[in-house]
Amino acid sequence: MKTILDGYHRILTWLMVATVAILIVPVTLQIISRYTHLIPSYIWTEELSRFLFIWMVMLGAMIGIREHTHFEVDVWPDLAPKPTALLRIISDVLVLVFALVFVWWGIEFVRFGWDQLSELAELPMPWIFIAWPLAGVTWVIFLGESLAANFRVLFS
Amino acid sequence: MTSVAFTPGIAALLLFGTFFVLFIMRVPVAFALGLACLPVLIIEPRLSPMTLFNETFKAYNSFILLAVPFFLLTANLMNVGGIMNRLVHLSRTMVGNFPGALAQINVLLSVFFAGISGSSTADAASQSKIFIEAQVKEGYGLSFSIAITAVSAVLAVIIPPSILMIVWGGVISTSIGAMYLAGILPGLLIAAAQMVTVHIYAKIYNYPVYPRATIKEFFVSAWQSIPALFTPFIIVGGILLGWFTATESAAVAVLYAAVLSIFIYREMDMKHLYNAFAETGRLAAVALFCVGTASAFGWMLAYYQIPKALLENVTSWGMGITGAGFFIAFVFLVVGCFLDAIPAIIIVGTILQPLAQSVNMHPIHFAIIGIVSLAFGLVTPPYGLCLMISCAVAKVPLKFALKDTMIMLVPMLLMLAAIIIWPEIPLILPKLIAPELLK
Repeated sequence: MKTILDGYHRILTWLMVATVAILIVPVTLQIISRYTHLIPSYIWTEELSRFLFIWMVMLGAMIGIREHTHFEVDVWPDLAPKPTALLRIISDVLVLVFALVFVWWGIEFVRFGWDQLSELAELPMPWIFIAWPLAGVTWVIFLGESLAANFRVLFS
Repeated sequence: MTSVAFTPGIAALLLFGTFFVLFIMRVPVAFALGLACLPVLIIEPRLSPMTLFNETFKAYNSFILLAVPFFLLTANLMNVGGIMNRLVHLSRTMVGNFPGALAQINVLLSVFFAGISGSSTADAASQSKIFIEAQVKEGYGLSFSIAITAVSAVLAVIIPPSILMIVWGGVISTSIGAMYLAGILPGLLIAAAQMVTVHIYAKIYNYPVYPRATIKEFFVSAWQSIPALFTPFIIVGGILLGWFTATESAAVAVLYAAVLSIFIYREMDMKHLYNAFAETGRLAAVALFCVGTASAFGWMLAYYQIPKALLENVTSWGMGITGAGFFIAFVFLVVGCFLDAIPAIIIVGTILQPLAQSVNMHPIHFAIIGIVSLAFGLVTPPYGLCLMISCAVAKVPLKFALKDTMIMLVPMLLMLAAIIIWPEIPLILPKLIAPELLK
């Protein structure tokens, strides 16, 4: 199970790195095309960079749950392992609620935009909207892993 | 908007109340902001959780915020590409003979870094790795070393370029070019205050000094650093001359840093490049995801006209520009303790703007007061990202470096007071260089 999750985690990370690496291209094209006539002035460069950006944010937010990099504030004193696990479980369950909202209404969100095309490049919008329910599903998976680990600590 | 289920007071109580409970339960801030919207979204018959999707989508579908990953990437490329080493060397030849040499280098490097990158968190992350261990080895206190690294990192968002100014310009429609020019003098003053603080610490605790560098050494390392030091002029100049937009300028900074690292300093390989991309994606995504849920939260506040209700009393206090300035700084400082700066601009900046307008405060003055206060929020607990990062690198809890951080904040707060009292401090440079931007 852990191997599968590690693999999924790695794929998401690669995709995120790809979005960061590609992101610079359309913006550069946009600047260059303004000053030379070597390449045509692509009107869709701005839109493409925005869509890559959305995917970068959503992919990073997905892996952030497994890597515990979403910023949180620690106002508690240092607790023993079991109370710490309990607190983690509570916060994981609350985030799980949010993840389920992203799955449930996320599907509606995709359905709502099912046959929309983007304004400039005429890309199908579901390609973008699908990031929301996908994030929800991914969080549910990663939170399940974290919850299992914390329950093990709690009942050990 | 007349037949809503909640009065502004009840809606505010529900939104902020839920947020704080979640916040204390250690729910990540980004998720706490989103979850806090849910009860109201479900109960209010005219709204549905779809609002959450529309508002987050709208927030991410923004060309302005693209500047965030670009500035982080610039910083990460600087670290792996040899630019940083040259700037460290240059700083050493300039302030190495001062008492507390390494700590002075730490501050001066933050000034150089601030001129190239617009991200304080990137500055804190990279300088913590360089300085904290090295300073402790030379006999500096660990808590002092963490604190000075964290507080000097805040300069990155005050001295141009700056992520916060780009976001401010996008949210509150203020000229980014003018804010960039306005940030220079306050940034240098705050850096000077920090160097004085280091000097006093060094005298009290007898911190070490390096031998004075020769003039020749200074010129050699200055020559080597010229290509890197040229970056702020390209960015700020390019924006003022209208060559590119603020977001594009961030992309130009990335390209420039990449060219320097690959062709001039030649210290970059593929593995470093991959890591720079991955680090950028990680940090940018978690910071920006929070911007989305904060936007949804801010939208809810606006829907119930909560800002108007909150400010109703304040506007009748009859404050002048200075009074309003102190009030604005106070609100941003308090909010900065609990929220990251970008969400704080989205939620609070828009709330305070009518107040600034009503006392005829110059929009650029307002912006600089807000940004400097929020920058200080990066080192104030419980949610001070730069301090959290520095402490994490040093592997100590946040409380450990708190006392020294608070001591160092005192002279910095005096500088903030000076900026509030004398609007000329931020406004003089834009007035001299680009007066047309101030109208």
